[in-house]
Amino acid sequence: MHKDVGQSGGLAMKQKVVVIGGGIAGIQASLDIADLGYEVHLVERSPSIGGRMAQLDKTFPTNDCSMCILSPKMIMCAGHENIHLHTYSEVTGVTGKFPKLKVTVKHKARYINIARCTGCGDCVAKCPVKVMNEFEEGLSKRKAIYLPFPQAVPRKVTIDAEHCRMITEKKCGVCKKVCQAGAIDYEQKDEFVKIGAAAVVIATGFDLSDTSKLPQHGMGVCKDVVTSLQLERILSASGPTGGHLVRASDGMEPKKLAFVQCVGSRDAKAFRYCSSVCCMYATKEAILVREHVPDINSTIFYMDMRATGKGFQEFVLRAQANYGVRYIRSRPAIVQPAHGESGVLVTYETGGAASEQLTEEFDMLVVCPALVPSKGSVELAELMGARLGEDRFIMTPSLRNPVDSTKKGVLVCGFAGEPMDIPDSVAQASGVAARVAELLQEAG
Amino acid sequence: MTEFEPTILAFCCNWCSYAGADLAGVSRLQMPPNVHIVRVMCSASVKPEYAIKAISQGIDGVLVLGCHIGDCHYMTGNHRTAKRFPVVQKLLEDVGIDKTRLRLDWVSAAEGEKFQKVVTEFVEDVKRLGPNPLKEVRF
Amino acid sequence: MARTGVFICHCGHNIASIVAVEEVVKFARTLPGVVVADHNLYSCSEEGLSAIKTSIKQNNLDRVVVAACTPRTHEPLFRKICEEAGINKYLFEFVNIREHCSWIHAKEPGPATEKAKRLVAMGVSKAALLEPQAETESSVTPTAVVIGGGLAGLTAAASLVAQDIDTHLVEQEGEIGGHLSRVSVLAPEFDESRKLLDSLMSGLAGSEKAHIHLRSKLKDVHGFVGNFEVTIDEHGKELKIPAGAILVATGAQEFQPVGEYGFGELQGTITQLDLEKMLSEGKAPNRTVFIQCVGSRQPGREYCSRICCNTSLKNALRILDLNPKAAVTIIHRDIMSYGTAWEELYRRASERGVRFLRYALANPTKVTRKDGSLLVEVYDETLAERINVEADVVVLATPMVSRENSGDVSKMLKVPRDKYGFFLEAHVKLRPVEFATDGVFICGSARWPSSAKEVMCQALAAAAKAAIPIKRGKVIIEAITAWADPDKCAACGNCVTACPYEAVEIATQDGKQIAKVNDAQCKGCGACVAACPNDAMQQRGFTTRQLGAMIDSLVKNALEAEQ
Repeated sequence: MHKDVGQSGGLAMKQKVVVIGGGIAGIQASLDIADLGYEVHLVERSPSIGGRMAQLDKTFPTNDCSMCILSPKMIMCAGHENIHLHTYSEVTGVTGKFPKLKVTVKHKARYINIARCTGCGDCVAKCPVKVMNEFEEGLSKRKAIYLPFPQAVPRKVTIDAEHCRMITEKKCGVCKKVCQAGAIDYEQKDEFVKIGAAAVVIATGFDLSDTSKLPQHGMGVCKDVVTSLQLERILSASGPTGGHLVRASDGMEPKKLAFVQCVGSRDAKAFRYCSSVCCMYATKEAILVREHVPDINSTIFYMDMRATGKGFQEFVLRAQANYGVRYIRSRPAIVQPAHGESGVLVTYETGGAASEQLTEEFDMLVVCPALVPSKGSVELAELMGARLGEDRFIMTPSLRNPVDSTKKGVLVCGFAGEPMDIPDSVAQASGVAARVAELLQEAG
Repeated sequence: MTEFEPTILAFCCNWCSYAGADLAGVSRLQMPPNVHIVRVMCSASVKPEYAIKAISQGIDGVLVLGCHIGDCHYMTGNHRTAKRFPVVQKLLEDVGIDKTRLRLDWVSAAEGEKFQKVVTEFVEDVKRLGPNPLKEVRF
Repeated sequence: MARTGVFICHCGHNIASIVAVEEVVKFARTLPGVVVADHNLYSCSEEGLSAIKTSIKQNNLDRVVVAACTPRTHEPLFRKICEEAGINKYLFEFVNIREHCSWIHAKEPGPATEKAKRLVAMGVSKAALLEPQAETESSVTPTAVVIGGGLAGLTAAASLVAQDIDTHLVEQEGEIGGHLSRVSVLAPEFDESRKLLDSLMSGLAGSEKAHIHLRSKLKDVHGFVGNFEVTIDEHGKELKIPAGAILVATGAQEFQPVGEYGFGELQGTITQLDLEKMLSEGKAPNRTVFIQCVGSRQPGREYCSRICCNTSLKNALRILDLNPKAAVTIIHRDIMSYGTAWEELYRRASERGVRFLRYALANPTKVTRKDGSLLVEVYDETLAERINVEADVVVLATPMVSRENSGDVSKMLKVPRDKYGFFLEAHVKLRPVEFATDGVFICGSARWPSSAKEVMCQALAAAAKAAIPIKRGKVIIEAITAWADPDKCAACGNCVTACPYEAVEIATQDGKQIAKVNDAQCKGCGACVAACPNDAMQQRGFTTRQLGAMIDSLVKNALEAEQ
């Protein structure tokens, strides 16, 4: 079923803008564009807005609780009279050109009547199917009918069609039985809406690159190796271990933790660029783990310690002085299991006057992988007609218009265009709003 | 004789501790039903008079929960709260009320478990103290 | 006497399976002022909302209490329903009996029900004392003032003008451009700054909305968001500009490393801007050594100035473009070429033969003159060797530091700076271009050393934030602000000190000195309320009587139960 949003002219209609990506950049851009008086359609492919920031425990350099500062913005987005949320949705087509773009958005079937669902959770409790939990980075399971995380916006459940017994085998149906709001609809189909937009903002963020392709860093080889994002989930009070820092092999609390920076980054054979935020977040995590295990000692293996933002250098100095963080300038040659399945052995060159090769044992290891433009962003850019750089980030080549892609009316903010941290993403997102206002003023 | 069940009043700030209490709820963290929350915008707006009024009228315990120092939504609010409450506690002590009937703590919006812990512990502590002696002296 | 309606929500099973909703409804009917009490399966659903609206009208209610989930989700929704049914939206009170009751006492339905009753009673007693409120609307002067005519100021001004907003650009020098005029090429894409400057200026020069004031300084600022009065000194003449928003884009300056590495004494030791002058004249030294982190990342000035490594990389490549046989060495402690393009620049420099040597603070580099050349003695940490490099020019890459007059701007605008003198934004993560004071914004190197592209993004961001109240034409303040009861206020000033937003001042009213709250600045935190020794300061929606009534209610219901 096709719905046309904003086809009829006539009365002074607000000009429409489509924002693709509901992470912090997309959320900020949406709020500012909406505040400037335009109608925003925020398209997010997962069931809830929030993005990567929702997965973080704390943010550097203040160690603010990530969800605490994100949640009010998510709620504002949902409540803003000028913002229409299209969650569990994707952009499937774009035609026309600025200022008359026609964006087709697919509302993926959730099998839930959104108007009726109150997010009470009765259905989730009763669902018999357990599936890998993407939000928890694979560290725990969720149900086939689920709310991605407790503070999800909108607070509506989603049925994962791939794993739902009713959708795939016509069996079960328990959720429908227990839902008192009558919100379950197994017959629901994907829906398409067409939005007549004057401009589009791409804010699709990033994914972690697959480090199992670089087994020398231990991922996939040693049980006690996790990614930095997995560590965030482990440290989160609402995460898979209830905030207890334990290692996978035996559930033991690690006392010696290693971080390996630039796994796949600044690497001629993988990704040549620097992912920008990892030096800082590794320092943050090394500080945070002390709050969980007071006698833990962390070692960060790095190339250059890129702490260039406000308060960043002091953060690193504090980590060294007060949190026992050891910084070793070296790229480990190989990471191997220590004892059977447990622990890791890290072999590295020390450099300097006493240059030698050492092998040191750690209880657990965190890889900081290259951060790549999120899956599907290449296809999306092509759909939009926006050029990509060699590294697949969306190009914004004109310094005069620093948030413009190569396609007029298509703007970029956040990690989708360039590796950057939260403050820079937020600033750029607000910058996009100004640019939207300029363009739409021009278009009349 | 039935066990003494204290009546506790809690002031929670909108941005941190109230949200932390919400998260505890969403996470279904169980705790004793003795605590009644009054929502305020900032812990700094909690007047000493409220705690004094509550306790002098027989409430067994008063809990004030704000954002962690450095995280106050209104920048410096919780610093004021931190300075103010030891003074109120001293006042209670001076009139012969156990000062631990008034407790100040920090709970962030992500600390559902801490909220549960603080509530559970406080209820236990107040239970041990017994009923507020001023209950006998209702004004 | 209030006519209160109480609506208890089942929330499906979530409340009703633990809390005996109908018992709570019955209890609510006994409460003072309650003329109707009812229950809904899902209050937030279309049906539930509709039922509440109907009940308001049918029962002529003037207060509404809903007992359901957390107000943090649906309070705006229920307030809207009240408005639609003809009740002022501030006469609504939300009681949380889900997150704070049924969900956390799942094994004790009896006690949970009793607690729900007490919570509802507390809500009802507060609701009875709620007053209708009108949200203050403050008009906004549709003008922006941008302080600083460098890259940040120009970008912000150009955007504001392109958004059809009247903009005044205040620049202290005799010409526009700031550092943009002093640096001819911008990395990482090697854009020509002249072209950029011309492009920005053409946006401004052609528009009647743009007013550029050269040789002008900020003299004084009064007012608050939407209603500022900015006084500038335009080369001797005083000019008052009414404005709705103010943007600080005053930039930063290059640290002059007097006394370090022979700067000022040894010929050939220069700063990055000195090198810039040489390169723009087409002169490239044969042998250049860059020393990074001169005066930064050390005790006293711990920060990394973010752009110095990348500037050296840019200039190293420019030297090689002008003089392909030149020898360039960069002595550093870390190379801060973050991201894609900068890292690419690092790689290119390396491939073109720029030599990188790494030093540590523990083993300082020495610069002397020997036989007509400069001699740089560096201890390289990786090789663990002392290396001597001869140079014609030693470029000391120094940090950007805050401008000497940023303190004056800070005082006039009442905005804070950090310990290095850089302006302090409202929130380091989520509000990077705003000050805590509404209506004043910050962008560019005045906030933190930033690359050209970053400066421009921040400037656009500040322009967006400034445009919001201006485009709206008004600032609406949620009616939870504070006010002082003139009969009780003794003008002691405690409230003034307690307020983090400078929203309270002691003023004369009807011949008496009392505290006056500027609603437009007040954020509704209530810090002033607790600071007031006379019970004069009150917060709308959280008055001492309202909260006192809640305490009375709990005392009554809890202690009565005990007896």
